[in-house]
Amino acid sequence: MAECKEHLQRTIFHIDLDAFFVTVEQVLDPSLAGKPVIVGGRPGSRGVVASASYEARAFGVHAAMPLMRARVICPEAVFLTGHYSKYREYSDVFMSILSDYSPVIESGGLDEAYLDVTGCENFGSGQALAVKIKQRVKQESGLIASVGIAPCKVVAKVASDLSKPDGLIEILSGQERRFLSPLAVSKLPGVGKKTAAVLRSMGIVTISQLADMPGRLFLDRFGEGMLWLQQHARGIDDSPVEARGEAKSISREITFEKDTSDTRLLTATLRYFAEKLGAELRESEKQARTIGLKLRYADFDTVNRQLSSRLPTDMDDDIFQSGVHLLETALARKGRPVRLIGLEVSNLVAGEKQLSLFNAVTKKKEKVDRAVDLIRNKYGFDAIHTGYAIELRQNHLDGKKE
Amino acid sequence: MKLSCLQENLSKGLNTISRAVATRTTLPITQNVLISTDQSQLKLAATNLEIAISCWVGAKIENEGSITVPARVFSDFITSLPSDVISLDLKHHTLEIKCGRYEARINGLDAADFPPIPQVGDGLYTKVQAEELKQSISQVAFAAAADESRPVLTGVQTEFEGSKMTMAAADGFRLAVRRSNLLSPVKDKVAMIIPAKAYHELNRLMTEPDQEIEITLNAQKSQVLFKLKNIEMVSQLIQGTFPNYTQLIPQTYSTRARIDVAEFQRAIKMASIFARDGSGIARIVITPGATPEAGKMTITARADEIGDNVGEIDALVDGETAKIAFNARYLSDVLSVIRQAQVSVELTTPSNPGVIRPIGVDNYDHVVMPMFVQW
Repeated sequence: MAECKEHLQRTIFHIDLDAFFVTVEQVLDPSLAGKPVIVGGRPGSRGVVASASYEARAFGVHAAMPLMRARVICPEAVFLTGHYSKYREYSDVFMSILSDYSPVIESGGLDEAYLDVTGCENFGSGQALAVKIKQRVKQESGLIASVGIAPCKVVAKVASDLSKPDGLIEILSGQERRFLSPLAVSKLPGVGKKTAAVLRSMGIVTISQLADMPGRLFLDRFGEGMLWLQQHARGIDDSPVEARGEAKSISREITFEKDTSDTRLLTATLRYFAEKLGAELRESEKQARTIGLKLRYADFDTVNRQLSSRLPTDMDDDIFQSGVHLLETALARKGRPVRLIGLEVSNLVAGEKQLSLFNAVTKKKEKVDRAVDLIRNKYGFDAIHTGYAIELRQNHLDGKKE
Repeated sequence: MKLSCLQENLSKGLNTISRAVATRTTLPITQNVLISTDQSQLKLAATNLEIAISCWVGAKIENEGSITVPARVFSDFITSLPSDVISLDLKHHTLEIKCGRYEARINGLDAADFPPIPQVGDGLYTKVQAEELKQSISQVAFAAAADESRPVLTGVQTEFEGSKMTMAAADGFRLAVRRSNLLSPVKDKVAMIIPAKAYHELNRLMTEPDQEIEITLNAQKSQVLFKLKNIEMVSQLIQGTFPNYTQLIPQTYSTRARIDVAEFQRAIKMASIFARDGSGIARIVITPGATPEAGKMTITARADEIGDNVGEIDALVDGETAKIAFNARYLSDVLSVIRQAQVSVELTTPSNPGVIRPIGVDNYDHVVMPMFVQW
């Protein structure tokens, strides 16, 4: 059986909507088509570009650029604050189209998803199927999808990214490594500015150089926790496409611009993540029994700590408090600058909940969470935050994708 | 300081105070035991700053004095000694121990550096029978919260009024309340929150059921002293206001079942085998029969990948059919501390608390919040 499994050739799609927010705006208001459009906020505000049309990108505007700067380099752009509830609607249409082709679907946000179509040959070849999906997305939502097809997730993702806009690239089995080789390491998911800089300082610029790096050298610099990165560079990625609704855990993590020992920043980041995770749990009507903290220190040493409770929770505050507790314990033991922090909820349960004796207190917290969810559904996630997270957004996380 | 005593007495004394020795601490001397001479006896004392236990051991005192030595080393050595006379001799800061052909020297720290054991003298005073206190503690303290998120809930609300004592503890999902009698009435009504941990220790110390336990609350209401024969325990009190628990006890029910404790326990135990993987959910259905005696209670549990089980027991049912889900552990916890043969289970709706009471006595209420489940 094991052998059989090893030889089972997977066909994985990574489908990504081009300039999602902006394209939705252009669908809603056709007069915007063909114009430089920027979603993010009014140009005078402190925010950053959330999405820019290809016309705006031609001027050098890109996501996460401060809006002030975007206006300087592209003064004729139309600036929009965005319609977040509309984005969700369009995303739902997109996801439901995908689910017609395979039950094994893993969404990576509103505008992208992996689809495992292994064994779905009755829909035709991979390419034919991808073309069909692209057509349906275009017809039914007016949006443009780019598709990467590969035997594993990481290669499919790099392929879809490279194919944009309105692209389709298929990487056949055995060609993964050759496809990745010439690309810059920064094209590899998981390689951010900081990791790229570390690699550059070691003379590593292309994915092939990373793939060929002696194992010992890589291990010494990045530690065992990062071995997957080199595997990915070699086009090897065994991780499954995890069907939506069967997620075993939800997590958020961020690599800081600069390594930090600032517990205030770390705490604020946890608060922000707790709000994200809490919102997702409530959205999927689940509760988590285990809260996990991930810390990667400046020397790449990585620790994972978990806290399990008999009582599952979906409340922001519970998740946050557990995270803070884990952080304090971890830092008390090893107070070194932190490179990456992550928060995870796992051991998810649905449909059952221990009721509380002191209803008043929990009810109040629940009400707050629910009210916040409503506001966010209407105005976007960042429309409302606790004090911790507001400061964080203003000073550190602006525009970053966590 | 120079004295001699019997190995078994000293060993027993060290065991008595051992649980008050600090384990993880920022104040290293609290890992020591304070040894001193006191009114021609040997006094042992330990404190972790939350509780302090002192204990007096019969000894022949030659010279007065005091010292502190590492509790672990000292008691490990003493308990290993044969049952014989032990002599303790303090030379500067070294305690010399001799017993038959064995001897040891342990380096000590000055007794003056040991945190003072609080003196709880004048204040509110009462007495209670050890057995009564033990019962109350074992039926109530387990319901206190284990996590520190709401400190008052880690304690046991203890109230004295006239010659009545009431203890209550709640962890947010269950509430236990027990009423009992004091041996000497108090003039003023008083309430304090005693850490559940302190009560658990006290329970361990009360080995003689007929003893009278003297309780003194200091004037500042910050510490309480429990005085046993040759043993004293002082506990810090938890500051804060305990939730008003009386309003949490349902006054009415729509279904009441009277069941056999041992049968109920067995059924819950079987359900927990299958409930283990999930949230420990035991689903309970109470069905009235043609006559009250013909009623029954079914207890079921299921685990997604393993299987499920059903247990059925006789019940004397008053009221309509009811179903409700509980965390099985909450039920087994309460059933294991009830000494009566039968209990009543009172329910209203699947989302309202259930009340469990022993049949035959009217001194204990246990309220459990159900779980919301898909049926």
